[in-house]
Amino acid sequence: MRAGSAVAAVKRRSASRASKLYLFALPATLLFVVFIAYPILWVAGQSLYVGTTGGAVFAGLANYITVLGDPTFWTVVRNMFLWGVITIPVQMLIGGLLAYFIERHTHALRGFFRTMFFLPVVTSVSVISLVWVQIYAPYYGIAQEYLKDVGIVMVTSPIGDPKTAIYALIIVNIWQWTGFSMLMYIAGIANLPGEVLDAARIDGAKGWRLAVHVIVPMLAPATKSLLLLGVIGTLQTFPIVHLMTGGGPNRASEVFGTFIFKQSFVLGDTGSGAALSVIVLVIALALSLIQIAALGARLSPAGRQRP
Amino acid sequence: MRKLLFLATTILGAALSAASANAEQKEVTVWSWFIQSTMDKSIAAFEKVHPDVKVKYTYYNYSPEYITALKAAAASGSLPDVIGLQPGSLTQQYRENLEAVNERAAKQWGDKWAEKVFPVNRKQMLMGNPKGDENYYIIPQESQVLCIWYNRKIFEKLNLSAPKTYADLKAAAKALTDGGYIPMFQGAADGWQNENVFLMLANQFSPGIVDKAQAGETPWTAPELVAAMKAWKGLFDDGIFQQGALGAHAYPTGAQLFAQGKVGMMALGSWWMQESKFPPPLSEYVQNMDGFDFFYMPPVKDGNSASPPVGGIDIGYGLTKNGGKNPEAWTFLAELTNGVGLQEALNDLNDLPAFEGNSPKGDITDHVKEISARFMADLPKAENQRFASPAVAEALDNALAGVAAGSIEPEAALATVQAATDKALAAK
Repeated sequence: MRAGSAVAAVKRRSASRASKLYLFALPATLLFVVFIAYPILWVAGQSLYVGTTGGAVFAGLANYITVLGDPTFWTVVRNMFLWGVITIPVQMLIGGLLAYFIERHTHALRGFFRTMFFLPVVTSVSVISLVWVQIYAPYYGIAQEYLKDVGIVMVTSPIGDPKTAIYALIIVNIWQWTGFSMLMYIAGIANLPGEVLDAARIDGAKGWRLAVHVIVPMLAPATKSLLLLGVIGTLQTFPIVHLMTGGGPNRASEVFGTFIFKQSFVLGDTGSGAALSVIVLVIALALSLIQIAALGARLSPAGRQRP
Repeated sequence: MRKLLFLATTILGAALSAASANAEQKEVTVWSWFIQSTMDKSIAAFEKVHPDVKVKYTYYNYSPEYITALKAAAASGSLPDVIGLQPGSLTQQYRENLEAVNERAAKQWGDKWAEKVFPVNRKQMLMGNPKGDENYYIIPQESQVLCIWYNRKIFEKLNLSAPKTYADLKAAAKALTDGGYIPMFQGAADGWQNENVFLMLANQFSPGIVDKAQAGETPWTAPELVAAMKAWKGLFDDGIFQQGALGAHAYPTGAQLFAQGKVGMMALGSWWMQESKFPPPLSEYVQNMDGFDFFYMPPVKDGNSASPPVGGIDIGYGLTKNGGKNPEAWTFLAELTNGVGLQEALNDLNDLPAFEGNSPKGDITDHVKEISARFMADLPKAENQRFASPAVAEALDNALAGVAAGSIEPEAALATVQAATDKALAAK
């Protein structure tokens, strides 16, 4: 009887303690509900209405049907696919190589190179866009000034041609964000356990073999993080496209960000803008889940499961 | 002790007096994309006349900052008292958040006040209103006339004169290109500049035809509009516009090059005069507008006349529902659009007035006065420049870019504009 009441008392204390512990999660939960969950639900609700806020009429899935039937939507999907499959691996590759060479082969100037390659990441997108528009401009542009020395005359701007506009923007994006990949890999390389590298060297691994078979696999957490961030970044693309081409010419370089912006703010069609936002959310969620299922959720060496 | 008591009483009295003064100071909040330096002068002039009112102005870049800020504020009911507007689509998007100003305007300027507004502006003030709604939700402050500016010093150097025929225009473009200049700078990555040039061309083939097309009275695939679209493509193919125009922006790139004397011609409007009022250092061309003069697009086809003036409201202001509860908000709006505030904007050569009877004053050269007078003479007969539906404007922007890039034929491109027009008219 005594033992039973002691157990019950312990259980009561434990339950009371657990309920107090939940209070610690309250601030984060409130912030999540107010700033993330509520806006998502509000946008999802808006996607079911047509018309302006004052005179909106419930329309069910009409906005989704309209959006999916719009050829621009499929141009956007194609552009986003190209953006992702080109920028993410290229940024990783160049960023990884830069990190490797800076960390392994520079000494006194290591800080200088790190800063220089990281500079575009912290530069204003407006400035980057202005500079690259000038670089791409034929006839009076910066690139043309150098190209004419080797007899090349640009007859059109890459961002003014519907066939090349998206690739021209992708190049700018790679230029801007490669420094970020480099930084992630530098952090990864700095955290590599020295004993493993020493062991690999004793076993005869060096140069290319050491890089590909030892360092690259050990940098997998950084690679996974970059992949996840790259996919999210791709879906969030907006300022470079908005400032350089506005999604043109004739919607050839439209991306989800510019498409949603035009529908919601330029055309005032909040319903289809909200429907597009929900579609992007679903795509982002699906891609994140696929990545987590395929690559695992552990994104740092410290988070790896112990044997 | 007495001294201490006196000091305390004095401090208390001063504090109460300051609090009372603050309570009497009324505030008007204003949002717009209108240039800050000129707005500051307008506000200073207003506050001098109305010392009990404080105007708090917030400047935004037009896109995306201003239109997103408006949308968010409208959704949350926190719009300022007065907002900058363009006629047509932007005004219509916020019509439900705006006060009709007819009665206030009649009380301010008399029953026949609307007749003092230039005809093209008056038309644009009602643009997009539901059928039967004769209310005004926007009061225009400034007007504009579209034109082609040219650098007369470069033209003089190359023995060129303002083109009167399309052959002249082509010859001038070639001479400019051969001379190492950009012939006519077109920021064709910007929809607005493309629209402006197309409106010049279309109105040359048939004055007012774009208005009829957007009202559904004429198809967009009418022969005159197809011819205008072909002429638009010709401006790229014939070397009138610079190479790579489709990737270029009018602002800041084009305007800077034009001001620096590296460009021969540029399709802009009367607002270009303000360049001469910007802070120094100014180029020899911009100084007092010495290097610049304007012409209208010469006939692009035998039998056409030169493009008529096209224009309308540059910027206007609306009184929000929140502003309707603040009597000083209308007072400021009235002074800004047709009073001391407007005068400061005109003195800065920001653009042309929207109401008759106003003109710039102060330090202005004869050359600028002459240019301004020519614009003012053309303004009353200007064709409409604005679109009632943003979807139609957007469709036309895409059509123009597609045709210029050669990815779509003029007829097919205009059919897409027709589809957008049909949809917009059906939704009305």
